[in-house]
Amino acid sequence: MRSGEVISAVLENGANIEFVFDANAPRGGMKHTFFTPDRKYAVQFFNEPKDARNPLLQDRIRTITGIYNPTVSEADGGAIGNTEKTAEYFRQRFCWPVAIVKYPEFGIVCPTYPQNFFFGSDASTVLNLKGKDKKSNWFTGRNRKYLTTAERGDFRTMLGTAISLCRSIRRMHQAGLAHSDLSCNNVLIDPRTGSAVVIDIDSLVVPNKYAPEVVGTRGYIAPEVLSTMGLDFGDPNRALPCVQTDLHALPVLIYEYLFCRHPLIGPKIYSKASAEEDDFLALGSMATFIENPNDTSNRPPDLKITINSLSKGLEKLFLRAFVDGLHNPSERPTAMEWERELLRAWDKLVPCANPNCEKKWFILRDDNNTVCPFCGKKASDRTIILSFKREMPGKKGVYRDKGEAAVFDRMPLFDWHIFSNVHNDEKADPQMRAYVAFHNGMWLLVNSGAEGMMSPSGRLVPKGSAVELKDRAVFRMSAKENGLLCEVTVNNC
Amino acid sequence: MSDYIRRLPVYLLLDCSGSMAGEPIEAVKQGLKTLLSELKGDPQALETAYLSIITFDSSARQICPLTELMLFKEPQISAGGATALGGALKVLADCIKNEVRVSTATQKGDWKPLVFLMTDGAPTDNLDEGIDALKRVSTGNIIACGAGANANANSLKKITNNVLMMNNLTAGDMAQFFAWVSSSIQVSSKSIDAKPGEAIQLPPPPQGFVIVP
Repeated sequence: MRSGEVISAVLENGANIEFVFDANAPRGGMKHTFFTPDRKYAVQFFNEPKDARNPLLQDRIRTITGIYNPTVSEADGGAIGNTEKTAEYFRQRFCWPVAIVKYPEFGIVCPTYPQNFFFGSDASTVLNLKGKDKKSNWFTGRNRKYLTTAERGDFRTMLGTAISLCRSIRRMHQAGLAHSDLSCNNVLIDPRTGSAVVIDIDSLVVPNKYAPEVVGTRGYIAPEVLSTMGLDFGDPNRALPCVQTDLHALPVLIYEYLFCRHPLIGPKIYSKASAEEDDFLALGSMATFIENPNDTSNRPPDLKITINSLSKGLEKLFLRAFVDGLHNPSERPTAMEWERELLRAWDKLVPCANPNCEKKWFILRDDNNTVCPFCGKKASDRTIILSFKREMPGKKGVYRDKGEAAVFDRMPLFDWHIFSNVHNDEKADPQMRAYVAFHNGMWLLVNSGAEGMMSPSGRLVPKGSAVELKDRAVFRMSAKENGLLCEVTVNNC
Repeated sequence: MSDYIRRLPVYLLLDCSGSMAGEPIEAVKQGLKTLLSELKGDPQALETAYLSIITFDSSARQICPLTELMLFKEPQISAGGATALGGALKVLADCIKNEVRVSTATQKGDWKPLVFLMTDGAPTDNLDEGIDALKRVSTGNIIACGAGANANANSLKKITNNVLMMNNLTAGDMAQFFAWVSSSIQVSSKSIDAKPGEAIQLPPPPQGFVIVP
């Protein structure tokens, strides 16, 4: 076969697909990849013929492509309970295998990732990156400096990237699936838009199916997996990739997105015998979080921005993941907890007042302190906090907190800020319903599509009208069923 | 904040003897260019790999000291003279001793160096002296590639167990060799499955290359 030759392949469902042969096809640890002539799909084959012929592996991949597939609606043979809307949502966030090749040999068909996960020609002025995948370590390590500022995104888009990833992993874990090799290579990110796409889905661990023989990628392998990888595959003491090991890799990625550094790689010397031995201990049995408050042996001396600069909720989760749970997998926070806490932090983001601040946004950790932790500039003399409360069912007048948002000019509000039964997830309508505007010296909440918004005095606020956000004002975001109550607090600082 | 990235030292030992004159040496130059641009496109390689070039003809010298990829300048190379392979190994041993950071109680050491050797002839100097010098330093994988009909697999086998033979000295074969070097460096910089003390698994060599058992 010659490079450039178009080859016809037959799928298990009987359909045909063509791909372009390439002698230098990109080759990963397990598979090599060709593309369809229109490059809309990747056609992948296994490097080892014994993998391709393994009926257990084939069976697992069939299950992943079918009943575990969140990118196909239940009606079309995908995951149970999946609607076309959620399927479409996850099609943007996963490169999930969609079909199986049976001829010329067993293989997988995956959609290629969306265009924004490939670098454009303006990504760097010193490197030629056009067309390359946006592997996340372009953005989080020392390579970052070779990218243009626009390409690097800011703190807000990096937080958005983390949310996007958590949601995808939460969706997988909900179905009992573990990715098993989450890493900077298998999650592509686009900090410009704050999005992530999970790729290399075929090594998923599927409940009750033959487990894939993967270990993972250096830096993301859970310590217990690394320290027992010398044992036989069947040894009961050997830790294998599973949901709990994903829950190590996930916060490593989140930490990298938010801080542009690795949580375990610090100055501590674990072994003077060799670099290999030192690394094996540093990421394995002796791994120490660089920000461990009880053990500062691995703490870089010049650490400035730390988990104390995030919300208190995120700080706690990082401590659970990298202190309590680092060597105790059952203590690790779940993807759902990460998603929830990142979303809370998202609602407390405020813009930095310094036009030259690299991060541009920060999380308001203390409602009375508006100093940007990244550049040290005070953002404003006041903060306005909206506290959303939901009425307890059957208990009129009894309210519980549903969340808080820190106000800034042109802040958008959505259904999850209006109704107690809507959450910011794949099912929610992403349409803006209201926004905040600073206008003629007043802070206004403008109704742009929320039905039944009420003023503090109990009058209907129709679309196009606004409520003034004054200290201690209380009003209904919507008088409709499940409408939230909003309490305004203005803090001078 | 300072970063604590370990360096992966990569040494290329290139034969520039008279028999490499013409197309082969041009292919080497082109191969180096491609290698550099490939590696600069891989974030892990760009972050960890440091490259050095040692050339040998009637004598051997390091023409590029161990340098990070972004600062690496393509060297001027030309062909002429004999094949001082033993001398090249001695230069390599000295460079490793001087340039590769060892792990100590106070210093994070570099990864074990990765060495690629390419030659088209038999050594014309004392090879054993070079091999002895090399034994006294720690290296990771040494891969020797014999190019063309006059390369001597037996002498390469004395240096390392990893010997490849490429049958022709054509530009196409040379390009494949450099492409394979590039993917080997990329795999090593990811150091997947790297257990302490174990050699890193390199990708299978290109088609038409023979592994000498």
